[in-house]
This record gives sequence, C-alpha cells and structure tokens, in this order.
Amino acid sequence: MTFAERMLRIDRRIIFLVIGLCTLLPLLFPVGLPIKISSEVRGVYDYIEALPEGSVFLLSLDFDPASKPELYPQAIAILRHAFKKNLRVIGMTLWVSGTGLADQILSLTAKEAGKENGKDYVFLGWSPGGSAVILNMGQDLYNAFPADYGGKATKGLPVLAGVQNLRDVTYAVSLGAGNPGVEAWYVFGKDKYKFELGGGCTGVIAPGLYPLLRSGQINGLIGGLRGAAEYETLIGQKGKAVAGMDAQSATHLAIIVLVAICNIFYFSLRRQQRRHDGLGS
Amino acid sequence: MDLSFDVILGAWIATGLTLFILSFLYEDNPLFKLAEHLYVGVSLGYTIVKTYDTVVMTLILRPILDKGEWSLLIPVAIGMLMLTRYVPKAAWLSRYAFAFIVGIGAGLAIPRTISSFILKQIEDTVRPLLAVAPGGGITFDYSLLNPASHLNAIIILIGVVSVLFYFFFSVEHSGPGKAVARAGILFLMISFGAAFGYTVMARMSLLIGRLTDLIEFSDASYGRPTLWLFLLTVATLIVLSRRGSSHPPQQ
Repeated sequence: MTFAERMLRIDRRIIFLVIGLCTLLPLLFPVGLPIKISSEVRGVYDYIEALPEGSVFLLSLDFDPASKPELYPQAIAILRHAFKKNLRVIGMTLWVSGTGLADQILSLTAKEAGKENGKDYVFLGWSPGGSAVILNMGQDLYNAFPADYGGKATKGLPVLAGVQNLRDVTYAVSLGAGNPGVEAWYVFGKDKYKFELGGGCTGVIAPGLYPLLRSGQINGLIGGLRGAAEYETLIGQKGKAVAGMDAQSATHLAIIVLVAICNIFYFSLRRQQRRHDGLGS
Repeated sequence: MDLSFDVILGAWIATGLTLFILSFLYEDNPLFKLAEHLYVGVSLGYTIVKTYDTVVMTLILRPILDKGEWSLLIPVAIGMLMLTRYVPKAAWLSRYAFAFIVGIGAGLAIPRTISSFILKQIEDTVRPLLAVAPGGGITFDYSLLNPASHLNAIIILIGVVSVLFYFFFSVEHSGPGKAVARAGILFLMISFGAAFGYTVMARMSLLIGRLTDLIEFSDASYGRPTLWLFLLTVATLIVLSRRGSSHPPQQ
C-alpha cells in the first residue's frame, strides 16, 4: 500500500482529534487575531446606534438551545447595545423550545444593565401559531400576548406605552435558527406593517438570507459566531464570540489544509493508477 | 466564587451530557445512547409542558373562566376535531379541522410569499446595469465588494439566467445552449460551496460553544466536572471496549 493510499484510508478519529485540538488549543491559549467588521453587521449596529432614546425595539429570539453557541452571543451583544442606548426592549420568541433560554438571556442582560422588568423591558414569551403570531401582533399586540412571560397583563405596562401593534415598533431584529425566523418576520411583519427589520442567524442559514440583504428587505445581517464577534467588537464588550474567533480561524485553516492534502493524495493516486493501467496494457 | 447548588448541578449535567455525546466520535456506545435519548425526551417534555401552559391555561382556560370569553370555545371545538382521527368511525370529522388549517395557511402564506420572495427578488435582479451621472454621461461601478455595484448586478443577472436555463429541460443543451447551461452549473457549484463553507463554520461554532463550556466547568468552583466526567467517560469506553472484545458478537 502506497503512502497516498494509507493517508486516504486514515482512521477518521485521527481527523476528529486534529479538529478537536485545533479548536481547544486556541481557546486555552488565545492569540487575539484581528476581527474585521463587515457592512452587513454594521447595518444592524448603525441603525440601533442612531435610534433616539425610548424608541421601541423588538427582539425576537427565534432559536432553541441547539443553536445557543451561535445565537446566544448575538443576543447578548444586541441587548447590551439596546440597553446602553436606553431603548424600550420587547423580547419574545416564536420557538416554544427556546422560551426558557430567551427569558434567561433577557433577564441576565437587563440585570447587568440595571433595567427594570415592565418599565424598561418586557419578555412576552411564546404564543402558538408560528408565523401567524406576527400577523396577530400586527393587528393587536395585546391580543397575541395578553400576558407577559411572568403572567402579568401586558396592557398598561409602562414599556409598552403607545404601542398598539407592530406599526408602533421602531426597529425589530429576529435572531433565527430556521423557520419561523428572519424570513417570517419579513414576509408577515415588515412587508405588511412597514417597520425596519434586521436579522441575525446561524451560519447554516446565512447564505439563504443574503438575497434579502441585497434587495434591502432587511437592513443588516449578523451571521453565526463570526457576526456575533463583530458585534461584540463594535459595542466594545468582548465576550464569548470574540473568544471563539481564534478557534474558528484555526479549525477553518485545518479544514482547508485537510481538503488540500486529500486532493493531492487523491490525484497522485489516480495518476499512479493510470500509469499502472498504461503499463498493464 | 460561591455558586448555588443548582448552578453546580447544571454544570455537572451539561458536562456529562456533552462528553457522552462527544464519545460517539470514538464509537457508538451506551453513554451516547443515554444522552441522545435524554435529549429527545427532555426537549419533547419541555415543549409539551410549555405548550399546555401557554395554550390551554393562559390562552383558553383563564380567559374563559376569568373573563367569560366563551367565543374561544369555537376554535377549541375545531381543534378538538383533530382528535377524532383516533376514532375510525368519526375520523372524517377531522377533515374539517384540516381544511380550516390548510385554507387559512394557504390564504395567509401565498400572497405574502409571492410578494416577498418572487416579486421583490425579481425587482432586485433587474436593477439598472448602468447609471446616469448627475451631470450627464454613463457611470459604471466595478466594485465587487459593493453588493449594489453594477458589476455585481451583471454577475447576478448572468447567474439567474444561466441557472434558469440549466433547469429548462425542453431544449437540448447543445451548442451555445451548452455553454449557458455549463455557466449555470458553475454558478450552482459556487453557491453550494458558499453554503457548505457556512455550514462548516456553523458546526465548528457549535464545537467551540461546547468546548468553551467544558473549559469553564473545569474550574474548581464547579468541582471540576470536566476532569472527573472525562475520566469516567474514558474509563467506561475502555471497559465497554474490553467487554466487546472478550464477548464477540454471535454470528
């Protein structure tokens, strides 16, 4: 068996180990590679930055714990920014399995910023109906969410003063891991009720959302852990996403090298095979 | 740092389940199966409880009992028709509930989807390929980095037309048509590559997330669950591997 054949039949567990080490070592010994800010992430940041104090900001945390590593840092960074700007924050989720996580994110960030539930922010929780909830909120927010996550009646909450439906929302951001998520918020929300919309998503669905970005259907897009790291850099509060960027770069490099090596071995083996066949005939 | 008992317990459970799931990378084993079944069971149980609490208690029972909103019984009755699927003689009644859902769903989704994904995207695809400068004359933006540049508009136009032609099977792809179809394949491959690249990034992010937590939970304040449970997982794998080799599977 030639070297190329042996390498192409290598135990896959060795590759897992290489990837594992490439992830673990930069996390233990960070290098601090520079993070370049992309225009799509800046789109969300600039819009929130330009909002006047007291504007109504809706954050829909449309994900569950399976997407926590990518969307949790995004949510924390955006909420820190919104609370720093003294916006009135309305949190909610369209994913029933993400309700507890969404509540935890909002409560922790609000506590950190010294914000009061009901006055500065509210977490509406989850309501059944998927995308139809957005339409329901567009007609009457209090009909879709008669009570907040804690069971308190939403009507009369100071944070919702002057808010009757989605037309009264200044800016909305959906952090989506699938459907319903950013697309649903555009189709059933922004397109119909005319508020500005930004998006955040997992890396898997990011390529599918770029057409919405280009056409101006969303004004910014935070894609995956990298997007979260960019946002953390913009607000000047580096967190879990920035810490993970060295590991992300190292694993990407490892995968590129592995793909290149495999191709070299594959083509060298094919060349050997052809030469062997030529000699045989 | 003093941590509460529930935080420490949570750290031990999270660490254990993470390591059990990762142990599958070595080989399939009972620890992985345990974690996998727990994941499915817990997520389903959580969803059922949350749905029951929100739908049945908050949105149905409380408004009826506290505010006398008896009109809510109409959607409840339509929903209950779904359950007739379990009674063969009355199963036909469930069709009314399904018809209601399909009708409402299609009515809501079709016009909005056409408007958002077809009309808006076509509008974006047929952007002007050249621009007229304020003082007269034609301008052309060559920047590939600017999504709204004229060069990108041309690339997108070529991509859309060639991919659509590739999926047009009524004409044989030969001669000039073959070149256009090949260009379509090229655009498709680039888009698959970009999607795969993002998928790799996403999967690596998940690994980073779990390893970050494992590093955090290796701290003495949590009782070093990462260290102890890693040793437990490795020991279990060794024992299972030895038992497997001493008792070969019967043919």
